[in-house]
Amino acid sequence: MEKGIQKFYWSKKLYWERYFQPQTIDEALAILEEFQGRAQIIAGGTDLLPQLRKRELELKALVDITRIPGLDEIRLEEGLIRIGALVTHTQIAKSSLIREKATALSEGASQVGSPQIRNLGTVVGNIVSGQPGADTAIPLLSLGAVVKVVGRGGERKIPLTEFFIDTGKTVIHSNQEMVTEISFPALKEEEASASLRLARRKALALPVLTTSVVISADLKKKIFNFARIAIGPVAPIPFRAKEAEKFLTSAPIKEEVIKEAAQRAVQESTPRSSLLRGSEEYRKTMVGVFVERGIRKALDRLEARHG
Amino acid sequence: MAKRKIQIEVNGEGVTLEVEPDDLLVDVLRRDLKLTGTKVGCREGECGACSVILNGKVVPSCLIPVMKADGGRVTTIEGLGKNGDLHPIQKAFVEKGAVQCGFCTPGMILSAKNLLDEKPNPTIEEIKIAISGVLCRCTGYQKIIQAIQSASEIMRGKEG
Repeated sequence: MEKGIQKFYWSKKLYWERYFQPQTIDEALAILEEFQGRAQIIAGGTDLLPQLRKRELELKALVDITRIPGLDEIRLEEGLIRIGALVTHTQIAKSSLIREKATALSEGASQVGSPQIRNLGTVVGNIVSGQPGADTAIPLLSLGAVVKVVGRGGERKIPLTEFFIDTGKTVIHSNQEMVTEISFPALKEEEASASLRLARRKALALPVLTTSVVISADLKKKIFNFARIAIGPVAPIPFRAKEAEKFLTSAPIKEEVIKEAAQRAVQESTPRSSLLRGSEEYRKTMVGVFVERGIRKALDRLEARHG
Repeated sequence: MAKRKIQIEVNGEGVTLEVEPDDLLVDVLRRDLKLTGTKVGCREGECGACSVILNGKVVPSCLIPVMKADGGRVTTIEGLGKNGDLHPIQKAFVEKGAVQCGFCTPGMILSAKNLLDEKPNPTIEEIKIAISGVLCRCTGYQKIIQAIQSASEIMRGKEG
């Protein structure tokens, strides 16, 4: 019986030797350095623990950053919204600042996993995990987010567009450095956003498709100023539909323009047929539908605010 | 591996424990404290059977290294009833027939408690979202939703 059970990864014991709870970023980085790749940062742990259980990763030590003060805040400073590394999805979903000035992120964070997962998991962790369908990565891409990374060598800032490398892989080395903050400009008066998700059920289901749209428009002249459109998981990494964005720049606000932009986004996405997420054809079609709906929803919001 | 000494307030009572650094909260609750009302389902945060309330928030205890709970407050299903009486949510679950095999029940009730603590008068949609992290394979959820509505009414009545 024991042998049969062993086949399932969940029956395997999780294993690490040391569990650190440093009080400062410097302390955390020093521990990582000491373990030379065999230690990793843990925040909420909602992605890391299942990975450890599946033996996709083996570590000697975990460095829990949740007791470092000051990293659990959402702040608005000079038009910039700054989200600390320990801010949870629940915090984002409940924040009125995020709902008003970064609506797409509010929608994305509300759709992560389940209430239990949202209470534990962090937005920064969601990004660092590097999954192509990450519910907060897509909105953050459309909002033009920048990631702040701190390592022993100092600090660097990386635009989210240059952050993802491959499925589960980002430019961050979680055994050497840590992301302390993610920031992006708060939406301005003439801007609005929307995030839409397609999944088999409303909770605890990986998304088939997530799209997030930010538009800037002049409603009097009836033209788009610009648009930022992020889509996943229809390629190995979440991506921006640059051709669709280019098409919308200074384009008139018209149904055929919205439809054409959506079609350009379809051409830019490269989904594969997947048992989990549907056929290539279906997924491409859905990209068109969702980009179209996303643009309209953002426009509706902008009109409601100025109407 | 060096054992670590930690302190947790479990169901209102402070306990000091010696744990392995790689122990999970769910295992310490069940194995060391014999609080087996907290169930183990998937061990990856998908099923919600292991839900407990940690520092005021409902979380999956299978994804929590026990060191995270050091110095914290944990409520398990055993901590809900007072002096041998069931909590109003528990009573409502019994009365409305919201318990069948019972495996999801502790997670459901703690999810409901976390909701009613924040929103004493939730909409059906809010109830559905609140229990969306706990899977039930028996009831079809309807009776559970009705039980939470009924508990909400009873609890508000008592306060008023």
